[in-house]
Amino acid sequence: MLKLISYLLQQGIATNKNICPDLADGVRGLPMITDVPCSTGCTACVDVCPTDAISVFKIEESGHIKLDLGLCISCGYCVDACPTGTIANNPSTRVAVSRREDLVLTTSSQPSENQKLAASALVAAPDSLEKAHWFKRSVAARVVSTGCSACDMELGAAGNPIFDMERFGVHIVASPRFADALIVTGPISKGMQEALKSCYGAMASPRIVIALGTCAISGGVHRGGYASANGIEDLLPVNVYIPGCPPHPWSIIHGILVAMGKERLAPRPVARLDTVRIEK
Amino acid sequence: MKLERLEMPLDELHDKLARTLTKNSNKRLGLFTSIDGGQLVTLLLDPKDGTAELLISPLELERNKYRSLTPHLAQFHWFERALFDFFGIVPDGHPRFKHLLLHEEYEADFFPLRKIALPENFENVLPRRYEFLEVKGEGVYELPVGPIHAGVIEPGHFRFSCFGETIVNLEIRLGWVHRGVEKRLTEVPWQKAHFVAEAAASDTACANAFAHAIAIESILGVTVSERAQYLRSIALELERLAMHIIDVGGIGTDIGLLGISSAMGRLRGKALGLADLISGSRFLRGFISPGGVRPVSERNLSEIKAGVISLRKDLAPVIQILSENQMATERMKDIGKLSRSLAHEFGMVGILARACGIEYDSRLSFKQGKFPELAPSIVTELGGDILARTRVRIGEIATTLDTIEKLVDGCPHGEEKMVLPEKLPANATGLGIVEAFRGELIHLIFTDEAGNISRYSIKDPSFQNWTAISIAIRENLIADFPLCNKSMALSYSGNDL
Ligand code: SF4
Ligand code: SF4
Repeated sequence: MLKLISYLLQQGIATNKNICPDLADGVRGLPMITDVPCSTGCTACVDVCPTDAISVFKIEESGHIKLDLGLCISCGYCVDACPTGTIANNPSTRVAVSRREDLVLTTSSQPSENQKLAASALVAAPDSLEKAHWFKRSVAARVVSTGCSACDMELGAAGNPIFDMERFGVHIVASPRFADALIVTGPISKGMQEALKSCYGAMASPRIVIALGTCAISGGVHRGGYASANGIEDLLPVNVYIPGCPPHPWSIIHGILVAMGKERLAPRPVARLDTVRIEK
Repeated sequence: MKLERLEMPLDELHDKLARTLTKNSNKRLGLFTSIDGGQLVTLLLDPKDGTAELLISPLELERNKYRSLTPHLAQFHWFERALFDFFGIVPDGHPRFKHLLLHEEYEADFFPLRKIALPENFENVLPRRYEFLEVKGEGVYELPVGPIHAGVIEPGHFRFSCFGETIVNLEIRLGWVHRGVEKRLTEVPWQKAHFVAEAAASDTACANAFAHAIAIESILGVTVSERAQYLRSIALELERLAMHIIDVGGIGTDIGLLGISSAMGRLRGKALGLADLISGSRFLRGFISPGGVRPVSERNLSEIKAGVISLRKDLAPVIQILSENQMATERMKDIGKLSRSLAHEFGMVGILARACGIEYDSRLSFKQGKFPELAPSIVTELGGDILARTRVRIGEIATTLDTIEKLVDGCPHGEEKMVLPEKLPANATGLGIVEAFRGELIHLIFTDEAGNISRYSIKDPSFQNWTAISIAIRENLIADFPLCNKSMALSYSGNDL
């Protein structure tokens, strides 16, 4: 035991002081849309996307794309395929949002278009984030896993000495009874729907729900199958969405900070991820 | 590996299997399923000479039944239950005939992978309601755990029947994360199927993509470049490295040596960094696909080598502290014991089989990237207990580190990815076998007349191994269950698909 303690002391502090830094060069994050216009008639990104996250539409003869990060499994194929650089790799780990529609990026110059496109995916959030200030100092989270385990492992990693999310007051707890937040991973297929709802039902208000990973948001690659693995949309109200497959531990921490109302610690890089308008 | 389909009538199948899968035989059952509900498909493997045999036994349509194989060959027990779940084929005389993966939420006559119509007189013999095995007797009580677990892990249900603190019986009910992966793999265009194959169990993403790629390439009859083969093997070993490190760390958590688990968590981070270097993804997602791999720069490869060398140095003291800790050893010794004979009978694979002396590591048997040529020698133990499993894992961390170094040194220049034909050939069969960090992983693909994938079957190593926990934990204390479970480190999603 003494050996272990002396080893740990020798290792010093592993924790990263820089909160939610950008990904290292060459590491794949989510895609983003830049202000470089799309070339008309090109469907390269649509053709390669495994989850139909991208669609192309036209406004006055110029091509535009819509990219739903809630469907994206961050495979990076569209980034590689895009000939113009309209889609690029987003190195930011600060990708969590509190409204589903904010995950939909477009090159459209018309805001109304954005809203219309996003309307179908809009989710009402009854226990709204207004209440988040309750959890500003600390939040106890219960995790329900319904997926492939990578999201869970990254959440586990967020608690390791490198990322150390406990320093932000985040605790993972073993019972819904004393949880403030419900973190859901995986596409929630038929087998887990009842269990998830009863877990939510066992939590006291105010309570918040965090959808961790693309599966939880939309079902990802499993969407539309016979097992109804379509994500959380029709099951529970959601407060924060963390896209990615799996999201980076920093993105997970970012999402929890957003849920706690502490995103000031790691603000979103607005110009990067929000809709970028095309200068004509 | 190219596979010939061999037609074999049902009665012959029984005889053949009884003759082949004996106690001392080298052959093993790889997989047992159906293509569309009209036949039984048995995949037999011969690890000794690296060959495989695929037996197709047509079923009489009006009967929809066959004599169960389980009473004589225990390893069929889950395969037959899954076969009913997916195809509605009844194994007559199965001693524990119940649903395996589909729960009450599904309609009674719903068989998702069945393509031919059910016989007119089909009578569903199995209600959806699941009944657990009941242990009766004074003082015996039941302890239900799950599907949602206390920690951050995948869901499953454990039903313990206990007498005092001793576990008399453990029944495991899975299927909670059944997402319909096999069906989905037949619905997407085959060029995009590797993304779905990876998501079958993303902690095994690389091995799944690898097995998928081998299976598709065997259908197409192509061989990828030397460089791609080296890079694939490096990626597979990086996945093993990261997962073995965290699994050894997990033993620390459950024994109460939190220093070990936090040190291992940090070192796993380093291993994931190496995965990032080769693939741009901590979980090696999207790296391997049919035809090759994503490009990797020479600089990154040499950084991987440097990383491996420093990891070896960093891991040594932590592993030594764990191995020398008397308390840890006592917590693991003789607990959760699995006998060699039962492991063999149930066709168990991977670390838990090697920990009771079964010398099977598919890297040494079946072609996968640069293996068997550059495969490390096998690590085995005889104890069959938690300690033995941990020792095998620790031994494999060492051999894996060496293997990665060797592979990086030998990796030639060249193309990373080749162009593949647009279409798969009609009525073909493809097989991919990979030694994932949990053990033998199999992908088996059938195409139809149009060259589309008509059946995609995955056999995760955990599918055979789950039964090991039920066996090993009997007569043990309930407090030892978490540690025993951790030492087996099984996959829920890979099993449930
Ligand atoms: S990165 Fe996302 S949007 Fe782009 S192709 Fe992959 S899944 Fe589709
Ligand atoms: S989002 Fe990706 S990593 Fe997370 S559960 Fe789904 S498939 Fe797995």
